[in-house]
Amino acid sequence: MTSTVPFFLSRIIGAKVFDPERNFVGTVKDLLLSADLTPNQEPIERPVVHGITLKIKNQVNHFSFDNFEVSKKNRKLLVLCNKLEELPENKKEESIPLAALVLDKQIVDLNGRKVVRVNDVRLVTINSITYAIAVDVGIEGLLRRIGIAQPIKFLFSLVKASVPSKFISWDDMEAIDYSNLSIKLNSTYSKLNTLHPSDLADIIEDLDNRSRQSVFLALDEEMAADVLEEMEPKAQIKIIEGMSVEKMADVLEKMPANEAADILDSLEEEKAELLLNEMEAESSSEVRELLEYENYEVGSIMTTEILAYQEETTVEAVFEDLRVNKPEAESLFGFFVVNKNNELIATFSFRDLAVSQPEVRISSFMNDDPIYLYDEQKMDDVAELVSKYNLLTIPVINKNHQLEGMVVIHDVIEDLVNKRRTNKK
Amino acid sequence: MLKDKHKRWSLYKKIGIFLAILGPGIITGSVDNDAGGITTYSVAGALYGYNLIWTLIPSFLVLIVIQEMNARMGIVTGKGLADLIRENAGVKVTFFIFIGLLIADIGNTTTEFAGVAGSMEVFHVSKYISVPVVGFLVWILVVKGTYKVAERIFLVFSVSLLTYVISAIMGKPHWDEIGHSIIHPDFPVNGKSLAMVLGIIGTTIAPWMQFYMQSSVIEKGLKMKNYKYTMIDIIVGCIATVVVAFFIMVACASTLYENKIPIDEAKDAALALQPLAGQFASQVFAFGLFVASIFSATILPLATAFYVCEAFGFEAGIDKKWDEAPEFYVLYTSILVISAGIILIPGAPLIAISLWTQVINGVLLPVVLVCMILLVNNKKIMGEYVNKPFNNIIGWSTVIVLVILSSMLILSPILRMF
Repeated sequence: MTSTVPFFLSRIIGAKVFDPERNFVGTVKDLLLSADLTPNQEPIERPVVHGITLKIKNQVNHFSFDNFEVSKKNRKLLVLCNKLEELPENKKEESIPLAALVLDKQIVDLNGRKVVRVNDVRLVTINSITYAIAVDVGIEGLLRRIGIAQPIKFLFSLVKASVPSKFISWDDMEAIDYSNLSIKLNSTYSKLNTLHPSDLADIIEDLDNRSRQSVFLALDEEMAADVLEEMEPKAQIKIIEGMSVEKMADVLEKMPANEAADILDSLEEEKAELLLNEMEAESSSEVRELLEYENYEVGSIMTTEILAYQEETTVEAVFEDLRVNKPEAESLFGFFVVNKNNELIATFSFRDLAVSQPEVRISSFMNDDPIYLYDEQKMDDVAELVSKYNLLTIPVINKNHQLEGMVVIHDVIEDLVNKRRTNKK
Repeated sequence: MLKDKHKRWSLYKKIGIFLAILGPGIITGSVDNDAGGITTYSVAGALYGYNLIWTLIPSFLVLIVIQEMNARMGIVTGKGLADLIRENAGVKVTFFIFIGLLIADIGNTTTEFAGVAGSMEVFHVSKYISVPVVGFLVWILVVKGTYKVAERIFLVFSVSLLTYVISAIMGKPHWDEIGHSIIHPDFPVNGKSLAMVLGIIGTTIAPWMQFYMQSSVIEKGLKMKNYKYTMIDIIVGCIATVVVAFFIMVACASTLYENKIPIDEAKDAALALQPLAGQFASQVFAFGLFVASIFSATILPLATAFYVCEAFGFEAGIDKKWDEAPEFYVLYTSILVISAGIILIPGAPLIAISLWTQVINGVLLPVVLVCMILLVNNKKIMGEYVNKPFNNIIGWSTVIVLVILSSMLILSPILRMF
């Protein structure tokens, strides 16, 4: 026979536990969720409650949940304890205490891509195994906790309305506040890696200092670099100041040089120097060059990762070069043609390349009257140029007409948005 | 090159850091002298002369200690006070604190609009024009997201609170008497004077300010490294608060008290000053009241909506759009509409509203303070930055004094019945 008992965490916390002879055992303090999600057991991964924290005569201890039964009688929750058996040490370490880590804490809603606060946790016992199904983040949960859900629901039903309730399934959430936990769980934050870096950046900005640091540290370097790039300057500095120089240097190396330069520019001199010295020589010299530009100059937003070829190169050779070097997507926005002295002579687009025969030379389709910017020019007219000529990139040259880098449209937009935002604030 | 660039700046570095950090303490200090504050100080001055000025000294000390705790909690945890209370005290306690705060803040905002109405009446503008116009402007300011600009303008404007110094000096105060009254205050100890003392403390250390202070510290992104500058900011803000309060009391004491003119509202003070200190002094007083009222009418509903949403986990913030944070905007708009609406009801019991608001504030303050002191002493939350014994002594004595004063005040009408 299958028995299904759904119940809320808030109802079981503080509940009295009795043994089969109806003797009082103790009161429930917390439920411990198994953090060990071995996927081979069940088709649907639901975390199982494997432990319970009881207060027995002023002593708080953790016990195995196997010998406990939860049932409902006249809407009241009954907790029966057949045998008190201490939870083994290794299981204790692999636990997520629900009341301490999830209830009333902030979690990440992976679908809504935002940080929300947990009002309650929904659990269910099926065939004497108890699972955590969802977290309650709605108003109904709040009212239930205060103890006025029933009367309010009744009042609402009089006007044929319902109290808004909202649940987030356990798969679609990630707990973030592990500050009360002394050990680090393996599965920590793994679900966050599925988010877009921009969304994750917004979420991390919303967190408190400690969670922000621990979430960021758990990301791999590529993701960390992408996320850091998308953050507001203030949050970037907070992250950097809380991290070790080695780890931070690794992350900065993975970032585009112009973004890394922006970050380093806003740091204190000694800290920036420390980071630059720790970074690999190749990345740091690029960043150092960019740091020399003032932040109103075109050079400060340009990227130095560009694709430049000699005019006699064939289309096939360009494609071969792309296959070998695998440049970032944004590098393909614009291609440049330089002479032996690295002076800019023309530009061409990916479209020109794609529609041409492999043996054709670049010189036959390149645009030899390109729009360009000087690296020390002020940034004011860049947006206008981009809009007027419908450009995705504009090459940047120095005063000797040598190609230094390019300005990409999204960096121009970012600059505009930031300017507007600072005006607004 | 990098080195040169930084060297050039290092000359101004210290001033620069201070200016960048400047804000939370000074803004909180300025909002502190809102319409309710100005009213309380005016009435205290008019009824008791210089004899209650001494209350500003303990208020000043307590104000600094409390704001320092808020700043420290904000810097160390990066969490708002509402967040911390919710996470550590559970839903029920949080719920009752925030229902109290919500009601008190609607009352406070009503007082701000009363200040707007009163001050504009001195300039012969009807409240049926001034209140809706100001209410709408304040609302648009926040919803359209030009709040930060407004905050800076207000900050500059709040210098105009120093106009009270002019008003005070024009009233030709007796400085020797002021000094004497601070050392040997002379006032009857009864329900009315106790209420006045509690009122002065309550309006100087309003509960909602604790939340506001902590949130602005986080928004500023302050760090423990710059603690020294944060401290200066707080002290400057507290000095500003107390200096303005002092001169308002002096202005009213040297004119209204000496001529035995009792008042109920700040507007009465402005009007009553006219024959005694001249029309200019009166208008300066009214202008200060007007600016202070608008400033607080902007910040208070916003702060309230913000920390209520924070505590209950709704999206909040002026950088969010209406449909991203509906609860926040609905709450904010309702507070504004209700408060402005009450003022427009002919014959609304304004004095009773401001009295009850102060009582709720007085009851909430010790509750919020106890939460704060427990949080700031929690090693799990604060790590090495838990309170020093000095902070705890000041904090707990404040709580004890407040509890005694509040209960005496609440009990005194009951005791009189027997």
